[in-house]
Amino acid sequence: MQTVTSHTSQRGVMTTSQQDTAEKAAQLLAQIAETRSRQAFSELFSHFAPKLQAYGTRQFGNEQTAMDLVQETMTNVWHKAHLFKADKGSPSTWIFTIARNIRFDLLRKNKKRKDDISADELWPILAEQNDNLDDDYALDQDILLQEISHYYGQLPDAQRIVVEKIYVEGKSQQEVSDSLGIPLGTVKSRTRLALKKLKELIVEHD
Amino acid sequence: MIKSHPSEAILYQYASGDLSASMTLVVGTHIDMCPICKRTVCEIEEGLCNKHLDSLVETICAPSKGAMSKTQCDQMLEAIFNSQAKPAAQREDLISLEGRRFNLPTTLAHNAHRIGEWTHLVGKLWRAPVALSDDGQTNLIYMEPGAQVPEHTHKGQEATLVIDGVFNDEHDAYYDGDFILLDADRKHTPRTATEDCLTLATLDAPLFFTSGISRLLNPFSSLFFR
Repeated sequence: MQTVTSHTSQRGVMTTSQQDTAEKAAQLLAQIAETRSRQAFSELFSHFAPKLQAYGTRQFGNEQTAMDLVQETMTNVWHKAHLFKADKGSPSTWIFTIARNIRFDLLRKNKKRKDDISADELWPILAEQNDNLDDDYALDQDILLQEISHYYGQLPDAQRIVVEKIYVEGKSQQEVSDSLGIPLGTVKSRTRLALKKLKELIVEHD
Repeated sequence: MIKSHPSEAILYQYASGDLSASMTLVVGTHIDMCPICKRTVCEIEEGLCNKHLDSLVETICAPSKGAMSKTQCDQMLEAIFNSQAKPAAQREDLISLEGRRFNLPTTLAHNAHRIGEWTHLVGKLWRAPVALSDDGQTNLIYMEPGAQVPEHTHKGQEATLVIDGVFNDEHDAYYDGDFILLDADRKHTPRTATEDCLTLATLDAPLFFTSGISRLLNPFSSLFFR
């Protein structure tokens, strides 16, 4: 496992002022979570809003969307401050990941998709309970229903034979026509009917 | 031990929010299962934060051109204090399939409501679509023991994550948490032996089956894997 020291050395040593800022921001978040302090939030806001605005402006090239990003990100910070965990990372990284999610949603909102997935589903960083401690995802060993490859067993014989020859034995429709002594047109129509029937069986089962 | 991971480039795009929704889901679910990639992503996020937020010296006290005015700040604060908290995210931790039950990793658990009905494909294969209103086609694929996905190629990329169990193809064996990204036109034949396997897979074009009886599937591959 890497130590905290090697983490920071990879990203350049944190300056004293950055450390102070991080500690201060963590205190403010704790105050917001515990006492719903509007004053603490305002202080946090005045530090982060301009940074978020600059990030949003660079990402969207649009002042209004940048303001939306600031407002939605900071709204989440206000309501979800209790979910910040100081041992998991710095306050600014936490706020950045919230902004990253809002950016994702704003970019997709512009594409006007219906029933669209939201970033909170894809990066559930604001979920109340986030850890699935179980690392084995199978719960029991029951066996499934028997295999159902019987779909094409349900076809009428004439159609099934044609399908078997074409798809299992890999014959061409002309070869099937020759070997069964039936017209090529009949082979084609039986194949078509068989595929249609199979589709119905599969959809029925669905 | 997970041995097959997304590339650092993919993790970077994941952390920046630049992957498609379907790829974000598959990579995010891998990260839930993989402490190594989780740590890498945390580091990348720190780096991104440093680049996008921390390095900026701008503050309200020293506003730059185009910065928010005091009035704008006050209005926004007022709006935030009057806003309602979003309802907590829904999650379902369990998925069942005909007597078999699986725990879902966190990211997938938050998308459980998007998982559709299980459909039996041919042979020992099942699938359930994950509706992401995305360009990709995302499915949970369940392979019973002794199942084989017919040899196939695909026009686009296919990303597969093993949620539970093990499967093999011509190249390797893949276990819980392994993430496999296959490029277009690379043939492979996933199969299970004595164990079953649940995977999450996303692809951006339908499969094309290349041999034997599986060619029968081609007229339906869009039906199966959409």
